[in-house]
Amino acid sequence: MARELIVPGTEEAALAALRGRPAGEVAVLAGGTDLLLDLDDGRLSPQALLSLRCLPWSRHGWEGGRLRIGSTEPLADLEADPELAARLPALAQALAAVGSRPLRRQATVGGNLGRAAPASDLTPVLLALDAAVEVVGLGGPRPVPVDRFLVASRETELAPGELIRSVTIPEGRPRSAYLWQRVRLANDISQVGVAVAFSPSDRRWRVALGGAPPRPVLVPDAAAALAGDEPSPADVRTAVERLTAHPGLVGDRRASDEHRRRVAGVLLRRAVGVAVRPMSEARP
Amino acid sequence: MVRLDDVPGDERLLDTLRWRLALRGTKEGCRSGGCGACTVLVDGVARLSCLTLTRELEGRAVTTIEGAGDDPVGRRVQEAFVAEVAAQCGYCTPGFVMAVTGLLRERGGATPSEELLEELGGNLCRCTGYVAIARAVERARGSLP
Repeated sequence: MARELIVPGTEEAALAALRGRPAGEVAVLAGGTDLLLDLDDGRLSPQALLSLRCLPWSRHGWEGGRLRIGSTEPLADLEADPELAARLPALAQALAAVGSRPLRRQATVGGNLGRAAPASDLTPVLLALDAAVEVVGLGGPRPVPVDRFLVASRETELAPGELIRSVTIPEGRPRSAYLWQRVRLANDISQVGVAVAFSPSDRRWRVALGGAPPRPVLVPDAAAALAGDEPSPADVRTAVERLTAHPGLVGDRRASDEHRRRVAGVLLRRAVGVAVRPMSEARP
Repeated sequence: MVRLDDVPGDERLLDTLRWRLALRGTKEGCRSGGCGACTVLVDGVARLSCLTLTRELEGRAVTTIEGAGDDPVGRRVQEAFVAEVAAQCGYCTPGFVMAVTGLLRERGGATPSEELLEELGGNLCRCTGYVAIARAVERARGSLP
């Protein structure tokens, strides 16, 4: 089925192209690495594709300590930034886990968030880094914390006619890490992912659990067990106990609940270790 | 020759190459970006043609396996694969040659083999067990000036 390809050059034109069209008639295309699969198997049958590639949303930059990532920037470009890797190691580690290098030349953060795959490697890290999504639509831009943006598997808070313009991360968190477990190193879907991040400003940890459906979640009681910028082994043990008791560690066709529980505990312990290690040594 | 305007908006580069241009060297493996058999170069950089919309490539240069030998790095990669007999059924081979070519063009021959092989995680082979392919990568990187 031949589809119209709409390629707006401005945000206004992009929003106008969506305005008034029934839901599902126009599919939004960034990198297409997930969308195209749904087009092929008929899960989605839009009449038109709205390509965002010409919009000025494909850059990232630090603004007074805050990182803003344009929603259509290819992941490979983020991956190539050493400053980003130093200030947000968990994000750099998650980026390297997505697909393969050639795939990351097309895939985008906006697409990853918008498609809300239950086992995304990026979304647990964005939770741990306290990220917010900048949504644009008829009412003007509005920030939505990632924890609220992700509703369920393949479901977000994005309303019809809205687009993701950027993602912001409030501060650099050098003491952060993302570890994951799956069968293949590349091009596979994680069974379990654990993201940890220490905030230099409020001196608290955030722990996020990914890989298990329906969506990644923050685990505040596990995070609360970690004290200071170098948690003790006893702290980590408590955090592991709390994480592995989380009801979100369910079984599915990818992994049993027991496997997820066991691996999540190991990943949390290792992730804290990686996060507190000096930058030059950290390589999970 | 194909006019971009004649290509439907959602047509994949893989299909344009194979069916409109009769360039069948680029292979369809998974059609979902997971196997690398469809790898081509776009402006000299490795890309997955099964997930690339042809119409999005206006003004860009595409190099397929048929053109790999015209590139100085590509030619050395081909020679290395031949010398190491790094193919059995050969279905993954064009994708690997293009991926390795793009990688060596980007990273250079001084990059350690382990790092290069890690970057090739997106290319699957079901026949060789990767041993001969790894040897070909090592040989190719060593042959670069």
